[in-house]
Amino acid sequence: MKTLKSMALITLAAWGLLAACSPSIPVDAASLRVSQDRKPAPDFSLKDASGASVKLSDYRGKVVLLNFWATWCGPCKVEIPWFIEFQQQYKDHGFVVLGVAMDEEGWDAVKPYMTDRKLNYRVLLGNDSVTQLYGGVDSLPTTFVIDKEGRIASAHVGLVAKNEYLGEIQSLLGIKTTSRITGNSSPLAVLAGAGQ
Amino acid sequence: MQAQVNKVVFVAAPEPVVAKAGATIDEVLKITVREGYHVNSDKPKDEFIIPLKLTWTGPVSVKQVTFPKAEEIDVNGQKLTVFTGSFPIRTQLSIPANTPKGKATVTGKLRYQACNSEMCLRPMTLDIELPVTIE
Repeated sequence: MKTLKSMALITLAAWGLLAACSPSIPVDAASLRVSQDRKPAPDFSLKDASGASVKLSDYRGKVVLLNFWATWCGPCKVEIPWFIEFQQQYKDHGFVVLGVAMDEEGWDAVKPYMTDRKLNYRVLLGNDSVTQLYGGVDSLPTTFVIDKEGRIASAHVGLVAKNEYLGEIQSLLGIKTTSRITGNSSPLAVLAGAGQ
Repeated sequence: MQAQVNKVVFVAAPEPVVAKAGATIDEVLKITVREGYHVNSDKPKDEFIIPLKLTWTGPVSVKQVTFPKAEEIDVNGQKLTVFTGSFPIRTQLSIPANTPKGKATVTGKLRYQACNSEMCLRPMTLDIELPVTIE
């Protein structure tokens, strides 16, 4: 036990040294297109869960994370908690998540899922006309990050790292903060475990 | 020979069948899923997941469709029951005794939803044609 505690303390010290040298974990915004290469995000109008019509252009002036997803899509389920977190964290900074559900069963499938997963952002019911505007969207998740001018700043097909989204959002919002490390894999958790 | 070619799921074309009216056909379809992908099993654990389903139409009645035992895999922390690689789906089709003699086509529809660890493809339905000669 003594050895284990010593190892944990050494790990903690090393972590502190690392933190001093590099005070934050950099997020990744490298996937953002340069401003002059961005193309306008095609506008569309879709219904939300309350039946209201929502146009993408309603959100001009905000950074929009436009996520095509479905209730049956496993990788989408991994991302959804991140999007809930982003919506919560950046909604007051001019950011919004828009989910476009591609379930053929429509709201009968989507609404229970929204309730079950406590989605805090707007979900629209997608159709093939809209997906055609965005290149077909054969694979889910497919996500576009749209800048305040309504241009596509990045496009992601499939599951990508949370920090990649975070970096893009922060960069487009002009926020210079960085990601936080969460979970129980930090040295502090190791130390806490060693004392048990 | 492949009856249908899709991005990730292939169904071998069934051989023509000759059978008597009143008989039972035992048809085994060979399904192949592209490496790296999986299709959901016929009995997924999660209610939101789209199961693999095979239906048949034509001058036959379906007695039984039997899927193999599914694999259990962990994808991004989610436990799934899936099929990968090549696997058979067995169907028992019975031809009613009063079916007229001659050639007929029995059509199968295989509905599947495929994913890999990073993305899912939208649900697809493959048509399968089983040529039957009734004697």
